Amino acid sequence: MGSTKRVSKGRSVRWRAGAIAVAASLAALTAACSSSSSSSSSGVPVTTSQTITFAESGLGSEGMQTQKAITAFEAANPNIKVNIQVLSSDSTTYLSQLEHDFIAGSSTPDVFESDVTYPAKFAQAGWVLSLSSLNPNMAQFFPHEVAAGTYNGTPYAVPWFDNPEGLFYRTDLIKTPPTSPAQVVSDAQAAMKADKSLKEGIAFEANKYEGAITAFLTVDSAFGGTLDPQNINTPGNVAALNWLHAAIYQYHIAPTAVTGWEEGQVEQEFVSGYTPFAIDYPFVESLATAAPVKGNVGYIPFPAGPGGTPGSALGGEMLAINAKTAHAAAAWKLIEYLTSAPVEIARAIATGDPPSLPSAYTSQLLSAAPYFAAVKTLNTYSAPRPVTPNYLTVSADIQTIFSSVFANSAANAASSALASGAATVKTAANSTPA
Amino acid sequence: MAAEVEKVTKGRPARAGRPAPHSSAREQADRRLGYSLVTPVIVLLLAITAFPLLYNLWNAFHFDNLSYGGLPHKWVGFSNFSTLFHASSGWVAALERTLVFTVVTIVFDIVVALAMALMMNRTFRGRGFLRAAILVPWAVPTVVSATLWKTMFDPRAGFVDYFLGAFHPAWASLSWLGASTSRSWVAIFVADSWKNIPFVAIILLAGLQVIPNEVYEAAKMDGATWWQSFRRITLPMLKPVISVALIFRTLQALLVFDVIYIMTGGGPGNSTETLSFLNYQTFIVNTDFGVGGAMSILLVIIALIVSAIYVRAFRPEATT
Repeated sequence: MGSTKRVSKGRSVRWRAGAIAVAASLAALTAACSSSSSSSSSGVPVTTSQTITFAESGLGSEGMQTQKAITAFEAANPNIKVNIQVLSSDSTTYLSQLEHDFIAGSSTPDVFESDVTYPAKFAQAGWVLSLSSLNPNMAQFFPHEVAAGTYNGTPYAVPWFDNPEGLFYRTDLIKTPPTSPAQVVSDAQAAMKADKSLKEGIAFEANKYEGAITAFLTVDSAFGGTLDPQNINTPGNVAALNWLHAAIYQYHIAPTAVTGWEEGQVEQEFVSGYTPFAIDYPFVESLATAAPVKGNVGYIPFPAGPGGTPGSALGGEMLAINAKTAHAAAAWKLIEYLTSAPVEIARAIATGDPPSLPSAYTSQLLSAAPYFAAVKTLNTYSAPRPVTPNYLTVSADIQTIFSSVFANSAANAASSALASGAATVKTAANSTPA
Repeated sequence: MAAEVEKVTKGRPARAGRPAPHSSAREQADRRLGYSLVTPVIVLLLAITAFPLLYNLWNAFHFDNLSYGGLPHKWVGFSNFSTLFHASSGWVAALERTLVFTVVTIVFDIVVALAMALMMNRTFRGRGFLRAAILVPWAVPTVVSATLWKTMFDPRAGFVDYFLGAFHPAWASLSWLGASTSRSWVAIFVADSWKNIPFVAIILLAGLQVIPNEVYEAAKMDGATWWQSFRRITLPMLKPVISVALIFRTLQALLVFDVIYIMTGGGPGNSTETLSFLNYQTFIVNTDFGVGGAMSILLVIIALIVSAIYVRAFRPEATT
């Protein structure tokens, strides 16, 4: 009898083990299918005790400053707790991570950081909340970044910080800032002749990546160009691209090595004292901490040529709200807090992220970091990249065109590439489902 | 009865597969238990392999572009496939580049790897160390090796231009990756071969080691030269191993992505865009899962055709 019990017990154990295995696998499958599909149609009032998730990419000092601001926000709003979700610092991976959440219909993150080129795509896909009902005061921000977050006349993202790309120059080598593209060339050539420690006259991003477009945009308006994907083959665009191309192959002020450079390499060339000019972002200023560059840095919009206006390219980050969130009111309160002048000033001083509010460029900020006066000037010129839901495809096509131009030493490389590639870019911009 | 049950339990044949008399109920229970225990693995495998494959197949025949998330994923027939054959898609051009890359890199890899294997098959001091050391490049992740080679081909920081500059001043500042379509391919070939030749060499070395020495001795006694032994003995007897190496390397080369992504990003222009890179662009940059799905299915079909050709060409009947 005892043996029978053992057998029964053995069967029971086996049955249980099998049942647990089957149940666990079914549970895992069910959980995988349903874990991220929750959403709520009714909004939670801002006064209710709640937790929201904020997705951002900040690491290092930026991440620490965000955490500091969030802690202060929670102290001021005890009923709102904010979970910070740190996503990849690589922009492509960051975008993919956000898209995975949105595709799955997830209600989190409730609020998130967005590159200036994403809002139109997110808006068309229905992933991001229209801010119209929240009555945002968009007039308080630099208008170019507001435009980057506006799609079909509706605001979808709020400027968080506004990073204008411009022209750095060495004030010890270039005594007066250049006032035309031609003077940039002559000054660079003169500096190279006078100072043999210089390795080139100008450094800029010409690798096949997004930075090649912002470098182009920095010089584009100086030649009267605008980057409209409906027609990129304009005289202004040809002249601007031709100038960058000529800097390599005709003026010989930029080495062919620029065809592999991104903003990091450009920054290295400038802060190492190898170049009198560099096209880059404001962060370079804070890194110029050693001789011969320290204390000898000027930062200006790219000087205008005939028929042009001073040039700068818009970079930066925005804040937006998930269309599926139930915590839109609390998310909006967080956005209002993070984009308030005192918080933006503290972030600018701690991290170098330029405020998106012109009113934040106060004497407090300028005394802590005087170069922000130049940054503010550049922010009034900064040209946004094309605002289109298909921007990533448009960008990939433009990168291919620019890359082919920089690899071609022929004098007409720019004009022929823009002429042949304009139709491709237009098709990409207007691509609509069949 | 109880004792009998216990006896059956204890006396259960240990060898699997043999039917146990008088234990069909017990065997059924065991079978049920076995199925239950493998269920999680089967579910997992279905979830991470079969489901994505089938979903991709479904995508390939539907409109599915994430930029238009609100639109229905309607049936579009073969339109995602026919799109690829328009010149504007760049797929045919990428196919041509990929096939040229595959042929050139495989021929080069096999020839160099065979020479290395023949060398390592000889007896010399330090042979064991060399055999182990030669595998190091293969053990390095491609992303790491491609990044290293990108740095080495950098005109400012890399050793390649520094080394070439010793022969000609103009070669001291060659831009390999962004300023020349031909040089960028050379750099990619070098990085790819550096990583993969050791793998092929080790496979071929394993094949060389199973060729009996007596065969060579007999050939020698018959007056065969080294070249005749190589052609009449080594190569024919290496055929099965070469076929394995060819299949591995061909599939790797057809699907080449990481070395391109890291070193050139498909540039200059789109001169180094291969099928997998274009597939990545379509999926990740354009977020077009319909056309991307069609691309990946065509890529799988191409890989299957190539594999079938190899299997047919190298099957045992063909070697005799």
